[in-house]
Amino acid sequence: MGEKGSLQNKTYWSTLRKDIARQKWIYILIAVPLIYYFVFKYVPLWYSQIAFRDFKSVRYGILSSDWVGLENFKEFVTSHYFWSLIRNTLMYSIGKILVSLPLSVILAIAIYECRHNKLRKVVQTLAYLPHFLSWVIMYGILLSLFAPGDGIINDLIKFFGGQPIDFLTNSKAFPWLVIFSDAWKEMGWSAIIFIAALMGIDVSLFEAAMVEGANSWQRVKYITFPAIKPVIVTVLLLKIGTIFEAGFNQIFMLYSPAVYSVADIIDTWVYRQGLLEGRFGLATAAGLFKGIIGMLLLFASNYFSKKFSDSSLF
Amino acid sequence: MKTRKFLAILLVLLIGFGQVFAGGSSDKKASDNGLTHIEMWYNATQTEVGPLPNDWVGYDILKDMGIELEASSLPSSTVDQDTKVQAAAAANELPDFFVANREVWVRLANNGMLADVTDLYELMPERTAIMFDQDAINFTTIDGRSYGFATPSIVTKNEGLVIRKDWLDNLGLEVPTTLDELFDVMYAFTYNDPDGNGKNDTWGYGAFIEETTYESYPGRRFEPLMGAFGVEGTWNFSKDNFGLQIHKPEFYDFMVFMKKVIDAGVIDPNWMAYKKDDFRAAWKQGKFGIMREQNSALSSQNNYAPFDANFPDGEWLVIEPPYGPNGLRSVGPAVRGLRIWCISADAADAGKAEKICEMFEWMAHDEGYLLCGWGQEGINYTFDENGIPVSIPGDMGFDGPIGQTYIQLRSMAFNYTSETELLSRYPVYTCENSGKEMSALWTLRDMQSKTWTPANGMDSMPIPGNDLKTYYQQGLAEFFAGARELTPENWQAFIDQLDALGATEWEQEGYEYAVANNYLY
Repeated sequence: MGEKGSLQNKTYWSTLRKDIARQKWIYILIAVPLIYYFVFKYVPLWYSQIAFRDFKSVRYGILSSDWVGLENFKEFVTSHYFWSLIRNTLMYSIGKILVSLPLSVILAIAIYECRHNKLRKVVQTLAYLPHFLSWVIMYGILLSLFAPGDGIINDLIKFFGGQPIDFLTNSKAFPWLVIFSDAWKEMGWSAIIFIAALMGIDVSLFEAAMVEGANSWQRVKYITFPAIKPVIVTVLLLKIGTIFEAGFNQIFMLYSPAVYSVADIIDTWVYRQGLLEGRFGLATAAGLFKGIIGMLLLFASNYFSKKFSDSSLF
Repeated sequence: MKTRKFLAILLVLLIGFGQVFAGGSSDKKASDNGLTHIEMWYNATQTEVGPLPNDWVGYDILKDMGIELEASSLPSSTVDQDTKVQAAAAANELPDFFVANREVWVRLANNGMLADVTDLYELMPERTAIMFDQDAINFTTIDGRSYGFATPSIVTKNEGLVIRKDWLDNLGLEVPTTLDELFDVMYAFTYNDPDGNGKNDTWGYGAFIEETTYESYPGRRFEPLMGAFGVEGTWNFSKDNFGLQIHKPEFYDFMVFMKKVIDAGVIDPNWMAYKKDDFRAAWKQGKFGIMREQNSALSSQNNYAPFDANFPDGEWLVIEPPYGPNGLRSVGPAVRGLRIWCISADAADAGKAEKICEMFEWMAHDEGYLLCGWGQEGINYTFDENGIPVSIPGDMGFDGPIGQTYIQLRSMAFNYTSETELLSRYPVYTCENSGKEMSALWTLRDMQSKTWTPANGMDSMPIPGNDLKTYYQQGLAEFFAGARELTPENWQAFIDQLDALGATEWEQEGYEYAVANNYLY
């Protein structure tokens, strides 16, 4: 048995060696993202132990910090802001999924269905463009659009006799601004994956449908949408896995004390506690909490997706 | 078996790589060339121009002293500076020598990341004589040991309440002296077309949120209004009424006045969204007529030029802050404005502290002082008949576009009090458009002559925890924005919650600290 196992091992490694020699460029190509994931996603796992320690300073290292068990987690969940952080984080994550995902699908279908090549390219480019702007630039654009004093939107509201709205500091308007500005910025980029899926649909299906007299809406309903449904489910599952990632950069740029009650998310709180207060243990505990809940949600949603539909991630 | 082997290898790699990547590169050893390498982060004199050039002659002089200096500029805003320093601390990547605000310094010192410099003052006799009096040393002292060098970073009392005199004249109004009069002027500036352009495009008051350790939310730009109620600054330092200003009944009266200002629409409504640059662009565009501004930002040649171009007949007048209902007034709390130069603990462990002190001392007098403050004689400056360094006309002059980069370390040299420094820094000039003769020094003297509240040490008081600070800011902002109705009951509920989050303990800690340091008056 032992000899057999050793033989199998030898065969495995020699096959792998030969394969690497033959396909070295492919392996080099794969190595780049693998190294990235290893260094930036797996190595930090070792440091998640900070969440269980009274970590004072990187200077003295982690191993010299005392274990405190679940104290940091306890402090996080009993903090005054815990429930509002959870609520706001989920509100933005779910809100963005509910708004951005359908809009991305609609945009993808619209681009796919568009028969004017030039128009399609212009729309595609314009839709992708905001994705490449940082939130710092987006803040400037949003400020010039929504500023209460001289923003374009408020100028229009005033022109039509309305009262200006301070979108950036009004707790009712702020969440909508966050969700829709994110949709505007990312909708075009998110649509790419759906456009790719649409490109894979067998054209003969459309031809047959047209011969049978199906109109555009019926073609979308009975061919296009079912064809990209597995991709939509996959994207949805992936988003559920990162449901506690509500968009730090965006909120950080846009929020101010006047809207903390509806704007402060786990990540902004972690930023203030960890980086600004130097309480790395507490910040790591909050980050770990976020990751574990996200992972559980991903497993659960994958299970239910597998149970009730044909699509799942694993 | 394979899985187990794989997991074992992965674990070993994680630990190994973890040490390599997350440990950072804390190599603080001397250079191979025998020189002591010092990495330094400084706050630039002029953030609008480039960093200290590589051909700065000081680098060569320092090399002769055995120092290889690597100087990098910190970001321009204080918030970004704090973020950069704290991010470096989190990664154990602090430079050898750097400048920090006190709030950041407290955290770094408490985390053991700063060198104990108590015994290093004697290595810098000139600088110590000029800058490090007992107050300055106390500013950086924890449990009897000093963890940084507190140096002056600004001219004290260099801000003031200013008003558009041309708008007052256009509307036939007098300079307001009370809060009610100030409100009336704000109202007229908003609704009576003070610039005469026929548009409803001006506001009375302009501001933005600018907090410091001693000027809590809504911050510095509102201090003249808070001063009318006696609640300027975070703390009240009077012996018989010590405490957090927010606990005083007069703070509620200030809130009522602010609400009146906001509801009447006489403050530029962008005040909650403005950053410093937006605010400064706004007054240069003539959007509002009353504000608290800094002398140099208001009237130094480069800063005033856009306003002068837009409004040749415009004029800002420095006025006394208005009297409130109890006859009180103040521009705000006056502190010394110290910033802290820190030596990282790693640098001290690597034996660099003495060389850092040698360099710092060199910058405080004679050759180093002149070089950091004004550049090279004959290239960047010359002396006038009174012995005052004046800029040489042209790009290389210390106020020229290139010359300015050579004085980026000025804040390491200046003590901000000597007449020579002030006369040189704020020369008299003639405005290009209006032909007016101006000087930021005249504005400074005017501002310093107004009513300020003594607040020595207020910038070294204990700081609140994050949740408490957040709740403090959030609560006030919500009252201002109307998310919470400002009533005595709601205000009391807010204060009660603030206390539940630790405000009372913060106040008690502050009291003990202020008494121990003899700050109360």
